[in-house]
Amino acid sequence: MARFVLLRMAQMVPLLIGITFLSFVVVDLAPGDFFDTLSMNPSISPDMIREMKQEFGYGQPLPVRYGRWLWRVAHLDLGMSIAYRVGVLDLIESRAANTVVLAVASMTFSWALAIPIGIVVALRRGTLLDRSLSFVAFFGMSVPSFFLAFLLMYLALATGWFPVGGTTSLDYPILSPMEKIGDRLAHLVLPVIVLGTGGMASLMRLMRSQLLEIQSADYVRTARAKGVPEWIVVSKHILRNALNPFVTLAGYELGTLLGGAALVEAVMNLQGLGTLMLDAVRSLDLYLVMGSVLMSSVLLLLGNLLADVALTLVDPRIDFSHLEAVR
Amino acid sequence: MTRGLVLAACAVVALVGTAGCRKGGEDRLRRGDRLVTATISDPKTFNPLLSVDSASTEAVGDVFEGLVRLNPKTKLPEPVLAASWEHDEAGTTWTFHLREGVTWHDGAPFTADDVAFSFEAVFDPQVPNSVKHVLMVAGQPMRTEVVDPHTIKVMMAEPFAPLLNSIGFDILPKHLLGQALKDGTFTQTWGIDTPPEKIVGTGPYRLVRYVPAQLLQYARNPTYWMRDEAGGALPRLAERTSLIVPDQNTMYLKFLDRQLHTYSPRPEEIDDLRKRAEELEITLDKIGLDTGMLFVTFNRNPAHYVKDGKADPRLAWFTDPKFAQAIAHSLDKRSMIQNTYFGYGEPAVSAISPENTAYYNPDLAPYAYDLDAARRLLDEGDYRDRDGDGVREDAQGHPLEFELSTNAGNQVRERLCSIMKEDWTKLGIKVNYRPLDFTTLVEKLSTNFDWDAMVMGFTGGVEPHASANLLRSSGNLHMWRPNQQTPATPWEAEIDRELAAGARELDPRKRVTHYWKIQEILHRELPMIQLVRQQRFIAAKSYLVDFVPTVWGIYEPERIAIRP
Repeated sequence: MARFVLLRMAQMVPLLIGITFLSFVVVDLAPGDFFDTLSMNPSISPDMIREMKQEFGYGQPLPVRYGRWLWRVAHLDLGMSIAYRVGVLDLIESRAANTVVLAVASMTFSWALAIPIGIVVALRRGTLLDRSLSFVAFFGMSVPSFFLAFLLMYLALATGWFPVGGTTSLDYPILSPMEKIGDRLAHLVLPVIVLGTGGMASLMRLMRSQLLEIQSADYVRTARAKGVPEWIVVSKHILRNALNPFVTLAGYELGTLLGGAALVEAVMNLQGLGTLMLDAVRSLDLYLVMGSVLMSSVLLLLGNLLADVALTLVDPRIDFSHLEAVR
Repeated sequence: MTRGLVLAACAVVALVGTAGCRKGGEDRLRRGDRLVTATISDPKTFNPLLSVDSASTEAVGDVFEGLVRLNPKTKLPEPVLAASWEHDEAGTTWTFHLREGVTWHDGAPFTADDVAFSFEAVFDPQVPNSVKHVLMVAGQPMRTEVVDPHTIKVMMAEPFAPLLNSIGFDILPKHLLGQALKDGTFTQTWGIDTPPEKIVGTGPYRLVRYVPAQLLQYARNPTYWMRDEAGGALPRLAERTSLIVPDQNTMYLKFLDRQLHTYSPRPEEIDDLRKRAEELEITLDKIGLDTGMLFVTFNRNPAHYVKDGKADPRLAWFTDPKFAQAIAHSLDKRSMIQNTYFGYGEPAVSAISPENTAYYNPDLAPYAYDLDAARRLLDEGDYRDRDGDGVREDAQGHPLEFELSTNAGNQVRERLCSIMKEDWTKLGIKVNYRPLDFTTLVEKLSTNFDWDAMVMGFTGGVEPHASANLLRSSGNLHMWRPNQQTPATPWEAEIDRELAAGARELDPRKRVTHYWKIQEILHRELPMIQLVRQQRFIAAKSYLVDFVPTVWGIYEPERIAIRP
């Protein structure tokens, strides 16, 4: 097992180099560069742009620039954002905490709701309950998140039940610790609903179809025929076997942990990495874009690895030891 | 089941419909000593000299001060860190007498050394900044000489009239940044990761907290030098908060939710706000027209049209005064204002906004919207529909057809383009509208010059010389034909001369005549055909006292108070 993990870790290195090189080339091939916006500003002279380009190593051939970036990354230095003149890691760090809180909260929301609902609708297949919840699920999957965000914010404005946008209220620094937690939670409710709805809906549909498939499997019929109590059939035979795709999915979601959600962040005025990264891509702030690509790739690959390891634990049929034997 | 759904839908609609009908609620903004405003984006740096975007400049606007600042009412420079100034006979040496008793936020005294240091930073080749080229006179940097701790001389190669309008850049503390400038690390100082207490200025407020993507918070500088008439301490408000709200719709919702004291509404929100002024306890002020310009321009650059000795016919049309005049007569500015600004705007005539009262030339006769006049002009220029297909051809038989572009995603400009296209089609001109991604547009304007007609806009300030890059024939933003070695036309040469003369003329009354002349030439030759200017409004809580917004900024913001 340890060998398998090490092998996979080693494979990540060329994969990451490939991903980052491609991204570097794509950003470079995109028409224009970061300095284009500046060049249309009457208060900025061409000399200033020349000086800035020099400062940030523009003008050298692409392989050289990529090589230098890679070299710095190997020394855990992600370089400096052109727009901010601040280290990329510091920028990411300044917004990471809230992004993770938001992502974890909305994932918890979607998983905690989707799985039980999925089970219930699968077991009550074809009933009114199943059909109405499925309708809600399709609605959840198809409604654009920014639209839902505006809808809920209007609701908040109309009712005053929830704060309209923001991560904390103005008086946050002078609140007591308990009030601080309450204030944070109050600001989390609507974003979590918006961000979690889409995921919840598709997870629930997946759970439902998984269960339906397994319900008709031979071993389930056998178990039932043997007279095993229904709750044991469901929990031991059906659920356990339905688990695999969810373990893989959870691994993928780890990769999106620091991805942020630019549109919803902007609309709901949340502090997060999404807007920062979207701006970086739009303005072609090269090293910031690269930093985010690198980070999400590492997380995604790690998430995949974790999921695979977890699969061997959950499902004894899956065994990676033969991979080692092949080598 | 269907009935249940319908009921649920009705409930949602009803709830949304009542948005804003929530009565009163507690107005948390009213108590306390704090002004809350919103800004559209995060600052990129707290070092004012390095900032290239308005959000960064705004973020430390109350933390730092310059020698002088613009008085938004008189539109003249008023003393800030410099208490007074004079210049010698030749106008090349200016002496600034600095205000005494001013201290930095950390208690260190402010002296002439700080001013000399700030000039040094501006002209340092290692420090790319937007002040440098403004303060280069005759291609040379200004020199400074510290006479005594409260007197500094600034010397330049020749008289420079825009000096007072250009010298208001923020003065930086030598005792904190001097070492960094020596080390060559100045450009990495005071990034947004700097702890706020380390950002030290002389201004009315100190930065105390920055939460990325959320807010900037400021506290009163208790030792600020400015006093009101009664000798009372300024600024009046103990705190200021600027919420960072990247979405304009959200900003509006926050204003309706009583989270903001002031808000700059978009045209479509004005009627709504006016109706609800009483309920929201706000006043809605018309503060004036846009200070910049919005125009359509035609490519007159032979670099694009002359290939292998053969000139593309478009070059001849776009440099033909008759063609330009016909276009100027075909702009339905009333519809433009109606469709883009919901009626809140004015047709633009000159390149300088009427709000810039000192330099705006009011004597220009507008080109009336008159399609018949436009048709006559085209006929006179021998552009006629020779083959009866509805599109005019020039004397050589080339159909009048070209591309019209603007930056995609800018709704105002996109609507303007569609209105123009409609009218130009009526004239027998075939227009292919092609919105461009911003980077592509910049590439076309500055590198390959591959464009025909473009709708563009620029922001504007009080100092007309700030547009030199655009007006001068050698300027890189002289869009219709940039970076000319020698002026291509007599009128461009004339503008160059007037610009140079205007920059040297120290007598304000004589100086104005040069810029009037430039506006006249631009109006006659039409390299940039002016379109419309938006009417700006500010909505503010009616219990704000001494809040005087203008299009040039807030007048004496230190005086703003909240009526209890």
